[in-house]
Amino acid sequence: MFNLVGLVPLLPLAAFAAISLGVWRDRRLSTYVALGGIGLAWVIGWGIFFATWGQSGLVEHPFRQTLLSLPTGTSRLELGFQVDPLTGLMLFMVPFLCLLIFIYSRGYMAGDKRYSRYFAYVSLFATGMLGLVVSDNLLFLYVFWEIMGLCSYLLISFWFEKPSAYRAGLKAFLTTRVGDALLFLGLLLLYSRTGTLSFAEIFREESLRHLAEVQAGLPLLGALPLSTLIALLVFGGAVGKSAQFPLHVWLPEAMEGPTPVSALIHAATMVSAGVYLVARMFPLFAAAGPGNAAMNTVAFIGAFTALFAATIAVAQNDIKRVLAFSTISQLGYMMAALGIGGYVAGVFHLITHAFFKALLFLGSGAVILGAHHEQDMLKMGGLKSRMPVTFWTFLAGTLALAGVFPWGGFWSKDDILNEAFHSDLWIIYVVLSLAAFLTAFYMGRQVSLTFLGKPRSHEAEEAKEVPMVMQAPLMVLAVFATVLGLIGVPEDFPILGPILGSNPFHHYIGEMLALTGAHPVALPVNWLVLGISLTLAVGGLAAGWLIYGRKPLAAGQPDPLRARLGPVYTVLENRYYVDEFYQATVIRFSLWLSEVFAAIDSRWVIDPFVNLVGRAGAALAEILSRADSSVLDGAVNGVGKLVRAGGRGLRQVQTGQVQDYLLVLVTTVLLLLAVFLVL
Amino acid sequence: MEEILGTVPLTWYLTVSAALFCIGLYGVLARRNAISILMGVELILNAANLNFIAFWRYVGAADFDGVVFALIVMTIAACEATVGLALIVGVFRNRRSVDLNNLDLLRG
Amino acid sequence: MGFPILSLVTFVPLAGALAVLLLPAGNARTIKQVAVGTAALNLVFGILVWTGYDRAAGGLQFQEFARWIPSMGVHYHMGVDGLSVPLIFLTTLLTPLALLYSAYTIQTRVKEFFLLFLILETGMIGVFAALDFVLFYVFWELGLVPMYFLIGIWGGSRREYAAIKFFLYTLAGSVAMLLGILFVYTNTGTFSIPEAAATFEAIRPFASNMTVVSLAFWGIFLAFAIKLPLWPFHTWLPDAHTEAPTAGSVILAGVLLKLGGYGFLRILLPVFPSAFKYWAPLIAALAVISIVYGALVCIAQWDLKRLIAYSSVSHMGYVMLGIAAGAYGLGAASGQDSVAIALNGAVLQMFNHGIITGALFLLVGVIYERAHTRDLREFGGLGAIVPYFYGFMLVAGFASLGLPGLAGFWSELFVFRGALAIMPIYAVVGVLGIVFTAVYILWKIMQNLFLGQPNERWLNLPDLTSWEIVSLAPLLAFMFFFGVYPTPIVELINTATTALASLL
Repeated sequence: MFNLVGLVPLLPLAAFAAISLGVWRDRRLSTYVALGGIGLAWVIGWGIFFATWGQSGLVEHPFRQTLLSLPTGTSRLELGFQVDPLTGLMLFMVPFLCLLIFIYSRGYMAGDKRYSRYFAYVSLFATGMLGLVVSDNLLFLYVFWEIMGLCSYLLISFWFEKPSAYRAGLKAFLTTRVGDALLFLGLLLLYSRTGTLSFAEIFREESLRHLAEVQAGLPLLGALPLSTLIALLVFGGAVGKSAQFPLHVWLPEAMEGPTPVSALIHAATMVSAGVYLVARMFPLFAAAGPGNAAMNTVAFIGAFTALFAATIAVAQNDIKRVLAFSTISQLGYMMAALGIGGYVAGVFHLITHAFFKALLFLGSGAVILGAHHEQDMLKMGGLKSRMPVTFWTFLAGTLALAGVFPWGGFWSKDDILNEAFHSDLWIIYVVLSLAAFLTAFYMGRQVSLTFLGKPRSHEAEEAKEVPMVMQAPLMVLAVFATVLGLIGVPEDFPILGPILGSNPFHHYIGEMLALTGAHPVALPVNWLVLGISLTLAVGGLAAGWLIYGRKPLAAGQPDPLRARLGPVYTVLENRYYVDEFYQATVIRFSLWLSEVFAAIDSRWVIDPFVNLVGRAGAALAEILSRADSSVLDGAVNGVGKLVRAGGRGLRQVQTGQVQDYLLVLVTTVLLLLAVFLVL
Repeated sequence: MEEILGTVPLTWYLTVSAALFCIGLYGVLARRNAISILMGVELILNAANLNFIAFWRYVGAADFDGVVFALIVMTIAACEATVGLALIVGVFRNRRSVDLNNLDLLRG
Repeated sequence: MGFPILSLVTFVPLAGALAVLLLPAGNARTIKQVAVGTAALNLVFGILVWTGYDRAAGGLQFQEFARWIPSMGVHYHMGVDGLSVPLIFLTTLLTPLALLYSAYTIQTRVKEFFLLFLILETGMIGVFAALDFVLFYVFWELGLVPMYFLIGIWGGSRREYAAIKFFLYTLAGSVAMLLGILFVYTNTGTFSIPEAAATFEAIRPFASNMTVVSLAFWGIFLAFAIKLPLWPFHTWLPDAHTEAPTAGSVILAGVLLKLGGYGFLRILLPVFPSAFKYWAPLIAALAVISIVYGALVCIAQWDLKRLIAYSSVSHMGYVMLGIAAGAYGLGAASGQDSVAIALNGAVLQMFNHGIITGALFLLVGVIYERAHTRDLREFGGLGAIVPYFYGFMLVAGFASLGLPGLAGFWSELFVFRGALAIMPIYAVVGVLGIVFTAVYILWKIMQNLFLGQPNERWLNLPDLTSWEIVSLAPLLAFMFFFGVYPTPIVELINTATTALASLL
């Protein structure tokens, strides 16, 4: 089974190649090719997942396959694919979600003029994500990481006639590129210090110990263990891809792409690649001991982002934008969990979140399509009766996200809060709890505004349920969002724990911790944490409903929070002005610098200097040529003139009178005679 | 005849010859008429002939070198006069003049 | 000595030029057929050189040796190793494609154009194959003259300025190089490059002759730095590239710039390893400036062709960074593998830049032929109008910004991997370049050309014709092929760079 791992990313790649090289002419065939590629990848992916489920020893000795071997001086760089529990888990989640979203897209994208191209792009995207999870080395991971970035760019600006779409695509690519540059540096540093990039070799005990012991001196930061430095650089990449503060700005705008893309890339899979990266590199992060700078950075940035994005989500009116900020916030949760050492909790949340967030996005896509491309929640309302399937599935997603028992999010979020509560960083726990409350609140607000009350616009009035091809994925996802959390129910949870076995998820993925030398410990159920978390979730939803659902807004009525929060609301609505800040500083400075350099090049310094040298040369030549004509030419011409003058003089002798010549002759003879006689 | 020859020394012949030559030279140099110049040339040639004969008679009578030379000179002179006159006629036909002052096409 | 494949690959274009010379000027069609045919034939020889080179053995192969000017010790000495084989192949690949493209676009003074172009090819391949200083210099200059005329006659509106600037810059470098070569000759008594490399440092140890050896070093360096071009000797490039006819730009960016990079590796590094190592930090600094500065200047350009010209400054900066890092790492404790990796990256980057920028210039030519403008502000929305052109530009553009899966990525990876191990600060600053590269490729080129509402003015713009696709497709194929499977070319280059890595 594991031998087929190479096919998992290659099948969608083949689909992409086939569609771009000609199949695109036939839209129907393009769909089948794309579905065929991802479908087969899904079958193989699940096959591999279930094969890993029972197999032990995969962590220390993952199944590996070498694909590329590059000579590097006297050594070689070996790159390939691998299978271990984390890979298996991702292969459970990624191809399945891809397949569902491909199916959903058939309905959503029907009638688009670039329909075939869409399927080519998403197939390439699937290649990127699947390749990423099966890579056995950081370089391949980076390669596929960037391919996903490319697809993200192409898909966000898919409707490239729209300025907002192509600007968003550009912003997404460039923002993540900043993070990628850091990841690239981390990769290079790791490679140059260890001579290898394969996970198995980096995570060997002695190489990790070596990395943790070597200190790297840095300007400003002082000395850091090498492992921490590399981990921080790698985390830079994760910050970009997973839209953590301060590189979060691209994700909300990424919603300009088609909604299935938002679901697939910007909610379920690609953005969680950052979390996957941290999870994959976890032994390196943890190498310098618990609570080292790298781990703490991850924890604080994650927790801060979780709260930061949740507050913004409260004040957004675009249905997809709320979900986008919610995604940022939830990714922050996962990061925070990993940062405090809650490896299993973080990965658990990654999986459950992928399902329910995909569900929510697809639900919002259904709403948008049903409501004739209206995205402003203030103009919706009353869709519950008009789009019942969408409503009920969306509600399942909402409960999962808010963390209500027993939906998926409850288990994973509670796991994270529990870990945070028991960690040394109590502040993380407080922040995450606050974020949990806000999450429930904005979801309550969203459901109330969108589905309850009366329609506030013509579009909402006319809304119709979406076709079956889109409903089916919603329903499948709703089931998963509801029950998936049960694979991670704590062992000592009353009734459910014993029934469901001894927390199989924890055992499965917890094995990965063996690489850090730690033994996975499942925390006992903490009823205090659990109670608080459940109270916050229910309370948040209730608050949302109280403000927006009990007394539905009238058409054109502003958000009631606006009056109550005043300027705070404005700040939140404008996302803390982070975009404006970047625009005014980084971007403007870069553009200014480019103009200055261009001017230096062609107007101020270099070219003027070159031209000056050129002119000086020309001037010198002019002077020399003058000197030439007066001195050298003078001499030459002088000879000529002399000859000419001589000729003119001698010409006088030549009278043409034969007698004159004769006279000269006679005279000369006489003279010679005289000379002869005298001598 | 013998006596005259015996009494007239060589110098006299030479003097006459020199005078003839000078007259001829003068004519060649000073006259502007082409015909006159030709006549001057004849005088010079005859002066030479006189010299040849005089020297033959007084110095080396054993052979006939001097006489032969004189005869050749006379032949040449005849030819020269013929060609010269023909040229002058040609020039005259073109220029309607035989004045050497006008014939200076080769002037530098 | 076996079959003289190198003489063949070098002089076949010259023979073609002779044939073109003998054809009547009025017969443009035949001239074009002969020229393209000759170049295509030469591609076969280029491939033979590649496939015939024994990678396992490495070293200089296909050597040819003949007496030329015995009294001065000048020989006709040709030979290739892993450095030259890819570049010879690149030349023989780009020339027929550029000529094919020109066959459809050049209408004036056809005979002279193809004549000069074929002479140019001989000059370029000769440089890559020559192992004798004088021979090298002769070929070096042979390439200069045709290019001068190509720019000066078939160029754009400021062609005279650009041609003169190009000529003077290069000539200034050549003079300095000649002095340097003569210095090496007077000390070693040989014009043979491998011999000089073996003996020069022993005869004139750098440590005890710092000033004079450095002077000779910088003299030769100047010639190659101008050709590369390295900041601040680069300003001939934007003008020359912008004004040159499309095929001229392709060859200029695709091959002529590589003469500089090749010179560093063939002559400067082997002959002056200690001097190079000593000056490497300064050179690396110039390289990093080239990378970042070049990329930033690109962002400020509105003329598409000029923008791509400046991108060459930035991308060739990677080459210089790789070579400088390699030189700095010679004999250091950080290990020879890092040196070899850096040099691998530099050579690979030369090859990749050749195919990528060659393709980009062809694409610029395509759009200019149709729209008669290169001002990015006048375009927009072409993505929907000319999808094939969009697709080709997308691939070439992403290859240029170093997207993994396309050829440009591997060379950037190797250059930065080598540089980070040897001179980390420079590498860290240089990585900024890859961010700015993304800015100008995606924002300036892609967005301004293709995205947005279709501009009324260009609604009837025709898409790529079949012969344009034929000129471009091989380049794109190589971008994909070496992007996915770089092993063959890296192995080839690696044979030469491992030898260089053990210089000190």
